[in-house]
Amino acid sequence: MTKLIIEKELRDIIGSTKFAVTFSICSVLILLSFYIGAQNYRVAQAQYEASKSANVRQYEGLTDWMRVHSFKIFLPPQPIATLVSGVSNDIGRTIEVRGRGELRSQDSRYGDDPIFAMFRFLDLDFIFSIVLSLFAILFGYDAINGEKERGTLRLTFSNAVPRAEYITGKFVGSFLALTIPLLIPILIGTLFLPLFGISLSANEWSALALIVAAGLISIGVYLSLSLFVSAKTERSSTSFLLLLSIWILTVMIIPRLSVVGADLFVKVPNMDEINSQKSRFMSQIWNEDRTKLNGFTTTNKNDVQALMNEFNKYMQNLADEREKKYNEFAMRLNEDRYNRQMEQQQLALFFSGISPSALFSLASSEVAGTSLKLEQEYLAQSKEYQKEYAKFMKEKTGMNMGGFAMVFRKITDDNAEKPTTININEIPQFTFKPIEASGGIGPYAGYAGVLAAFNLLFFAGAFAAFKKYDVR
Amino acid sequence: MNNQPLLEAVNLSKRYEDGALAVNNVSFFVKPGEIFAMLGGNGAGKTTTINIFLNFIEPTSGEARINGISSHVEPLKAKQHVAFVSENVMLYTNFTAIQNLDYFVRLGGKTQYTKDDYRKVLLRVGLQEEAHNKKLKGFSKGMRQKCGIAVAILKDAPAILLDEPTSGLDPKSGFEFIQLLDSLRNEGKAILMSTHDIFRAKEIADTIGIMRQGNLVMQKSREELSGENLEQLYMNFMAGVYE
Amino acid sequence: MLSTIITHELKNIFFSPKFSVTFIVVSLLLILSVIVGIDQYQKAIRQYETTTQLVQQEMREARGWMSLNNKILRKPDPMQIFVAGVNNDVGRISGISSFFAVKLSHSTFSDDPIYAVFRFVDFAFIVTVVFSLLAILFTYDAINGEAEKGTLQLTFANAVPRAQYIVGKFVGSWLGLIIPLAVPMLISLLLLLLWNVPLQSEEWLKIVSLFAAALLYVTFFISLGIFLSTMTKRSSVSFLFSLVTWVCMVFIIPRAGATVAGHIITVPTVAEIEAQREAFSKDRWTEYEGTMQEKWKARNAPTQTMTKQEREAFRDSKMWEWMEEDDRDRKQVQVDIDEQAKKLNEDLRNRKAEQEYLAFVLSRFSPASAFQLAAMNLAGTDIALKSRYEDALNEYRPVFNTYKDKKQKETGNSGGFRIEVNSDTGVKIDAGREKGVLDISEMPQFTHPKHTFSDAMASAVIDFGLLGFFSLTTFAGAFVRFLRYDVR
Repeated sequence: MTKLIIEKELRDIIGSTKFAVTFSICSVLILLSFYIGAQNYRVAQAQYEASKSANVRQYEGLTDWMRVHSFKIFLPPQPIATLVSGVSNDIGRTIEVRGRGELRSQDSRYGDDPIFAMFRFLDLDFIFSIVLSLFAILFGYDAINGEKERGTLRLTFSNAVPRAEYITGKFVGSFLALTIPLLIPILIGTLFLPLFGISLSANEWSALALIVAAGLISIGVYLSLSLFVSAKTERSSTSFLLLLSIWILTVMIIPRLSVVGADLFVKVPNMDEINSQKSRFMSQIWNEDRTKLNGFTTTNKNDVQALMNEFNKYMQNLADEREKKYNEFAMRLNEDRYNRQMEQQQLALFFSGISPSALFSLASSEVAGTSLKLEQEYLAQSKEYQKEYAKFMKEKTGMNMGGFAMVFRKITDDNAEKPTTININEIPQFTFKPIEASGGIGPYAGYAGVLAAFNLLFFAGAFAAFKKYDVR
Repeated sequence: MNNQPLLEAVNLSKRYEDGALAVNNVSFFVKPGEIFAMLGGNGAGKTTTINIFLNFIEPTSGEARINGISSHVEPLKAKQHVAFVSENVMLYTNFTAIQNLDYFVRLGGKTQYTKDDYRKVLLRVGLQEEAHNKKLKGFSKGMRQKCGIAVAILKDAPAILLDEPTSGLDPKSGFEFIQLLDSLRNEGKAILMSTHDIFRAKEIADTIGIMRQGNLVMQKSREELSGENLEQLYMNFMAGVYE
Repeated sequence: MLSTIITHELKNIFFSPKFSVTFIVVSLLLILSVIVGIDQYQKAIRQYETTTQLVQQEMREARGWMSLNNKILRKPDPMQIFVAGVNNDVGRISGISSFFAVKLSHSTFSDDPIYAVFRFVDFAFIVTVVFSLLAILFTYDAINGEAEKGTLQLTFANAVPRAQYIVGKFVGSWLGLIIPLAVPMLISLLLLLLWNVPLQSEEWLKIVSLFAAALLYVTFFISLGIFLSTMTKRSSVSFLFSLVTWVCMVFIIPRAGATVAGHIITVPTVAEIEAQREAFSKDRWTEYEGTMQEKWKARNAPTQTMTKQEREAFRDSKMWEWMEEDDRDRKQVQVDIDEQAKKLNEDLRNRKAEQEYLAFVLSRFSPASAFQLAAMNLAGTDIALKSRYEDALNEYRPVFNTYKDKKQKETGNSGGFRIEVNSDTGVKIDAGREKGVLDISEMPQFTHPKHTFSDAMASAVIDFGLLGFFSLTTFAGAFVRFLRYDVR
């Protein structure tokens, strides 16, 4: 019986105008998003390579490692991130590594190119969370009351049809009818990815599968909600208006207000203030050290090379101490801000959990490696790199760079030996290890679990409402 | 043939939540091979009675039985023995006549039919062959009504409920419909029909009941009615002359 | 006749049960967005002031004029209450120094990515998404709905001219929707006064124009709804098409436009440009050192034959001249580097401008983009915000540096530290001044770039025109279709 109802539902929807319209829009959008995602990835990859080589090129021809004050590292683009961009366009991509001190990422894609910040990208996340959730409502808003308006519900229930089977059949049928316009272009899109020049690792394939799975569950939520509302209301125009309002609220308003709401409860100290305090503290302790400079005495009055080494050692000790003091000071400020920021984030994410579409975005960004964790991960990895870099520079220059070391350029009368140029390629390479899908599986499961719970809840509601529904 | 009543209303009452008494202590039965016609004005309780048989609403007291099974105690079991044609048969407009037939007949539990069976029954109810594979979108009310009757025939249930099936049909279709009912009766179906149409009722029914304000105010067999002016009787009942 | 139709339409909207509910919800949303906006603005202003003071304090405590660096913060603009635009994506702060080029860094979204996850809700957003949907909801069945109800047939059984009917329909729906939508806008103006948001007459003009743009935008969707309702027989079909058109216009076309433009015209990243600049600067400094070495060799050449005393006397007499010369050369290097940076920047900007232009052209096929662009231009949170600030900062930088040099010359204290290694005298370290604060009261102040009402209008006028054009064509379409509409 259920099978018969599912079959009928599928045939009913697939033969309708709305199916033709949604199917064509879905196909065009999804294929476009895959194509554009691939193109975007290639452009980003080219930019990444260009930045990297331009960065290396600036050191070519240098004769002294001492002259390498800092080295820039870049966040490489990830193919999955072009499908679910998350915060990857908002966080800084460039980090200047000096060997010591705080690291800060800058040059976000949206900051560099505000045009994209204004319009945003056409990615899979957008298609699922905005377009498909609307289509789910469009498919389900008149599931029950529409049949009644059409008069077919009476005839149906003049037969020995159990209501449980009917509503299950309705849900499964319309869900299947909705997933077809989705999965076909997604499959085609994924098949075309290699053609577009993108090869995904096994890890990325599983991330993509998980994203699509989360998308399907979130669509299920909007569908079961539609079923529920349509079993609760008499007229399909009423249920549509209601569902459209819920859609606007959950897709557009609640996620945005959740951050504002969290902001009310948790105050995060302002970054500018903290930076000013830090920079003031830095110049204070530097000024203290400057007076100490006057106390520098040397026994090597004549050997300039030895003198330089001695001086730099003196300076380094000062710098080490200064760094220790600074770190203590900065850590307090940073930690305070970080803790509050985390608290605020948690609260905002909690609030936004009311919205199925927000839950989908969060879940998918977790496995795509573009969640809020991305920046922390990038900074953590670049910190590791900084250690490696410092070690390398110490080997090359005999000192820990990044302090205020002095380079003495001896102006000698003889130019007998031409100094040799350094090979900048010896410098350690930074390779960003993207967050694996498995790394985000915990939070993903959490978000997907809530989505599944929503599904159950709304379906149970639809079930209960339909049990009492007046089919006349 | 088993002569137990197939459709049976026993002290059936229905009081709506707003207090209106739609059906008041109504009792009647329909045996196989019989047609029972319920006459009555708008709001007399005819449709409510049929709705109770189909368990669309629960009776306040009494019960409606189909083949001896109480329709509100075991609705699914009861409904296996009944087919239903409403006043305005509504089918899926983006399906063809055959597709609609297939769906609703299968819902009724009959899966053995072939396309050819559908075609034959549609022809029997008077739907032209060229309409069989057309979508319902452009169908007139009469054509839809014919499809509805075809569904009922194919379901092959021992009892048939008809809710004003001839309203809005043109005279020719109405005539054909009555002939069809006659042949169904001859097959041994128990038919309960509500109608406004006194002449058709008189022509076909074995028993005629008149409802007024929820009460079954008159119930007479064809024999009892012979020689009486049914129209006059009906008008008198409607005017409350006998109260 | 016309007034009968209009009043009927008005009653129809006002007395429909869905109207009051949606109207209240929409008004609350709009007012909420303005309150949130005001709160965010005031917070931003407080932070701006605190940070500016901290920067001043740090400057006063600087080691000396030479090492005096300024930091400029973008000043929050009350218009961002209504239209956040790219305000949160563009960096807020830039250093001003002799050596480093200006660069706006620290955007709100990069500092607190949680805001970036869901973005902000502001007036422009609510108008773009919610108001347009509302307009469609109340007009999609304007004509075919009446036909379905059978009232159209009854209406035209009378001697009603079709032109009057459709005009009446439009005017009625327009008044019925615009008046309620104007109410929360007026309330938001009241809120601005209540919260004492400092607004100049220029800004009031901008706000009023913004509201006008919003109403024009809603007008378009009203006439679109009516147009689509004349295109089809069934209201369910016209609703489906309205909704799909809405999704395309509000979400898909703008995004697709920008994405396609980004794909057609690629722009190098800032990091790449910076690396090129760095490379040039390193080359230039290496070259400078080479010439310095040559120069010192030449300067020292005459001293080869001198005695120690003569040598020192010669050096002392020449030292000032040499130092001035070196300083000039050094400054020249910096000028060259700045020139090159400017050139690179200009290239980047031109390329970006091309990309942006294409993105605008493509996305302006959607009235939603036209409205957003108009809103951002009016609010001054448009794409050009970044370059406006960069230009102002670039103008300020030489002024600031000149002031710094002048002060340094006056006080004669470099503030930097000088280490002299001389085979004769050994090591001399001068760590500069020790105590006291700098008097920066005469320091030239940064003037924040002005975005006047006429500037704003100059760039927004095209979008006003487009919105008007879109509204007119859809209404004309509705008019023509209705003249031939089958009223049965």
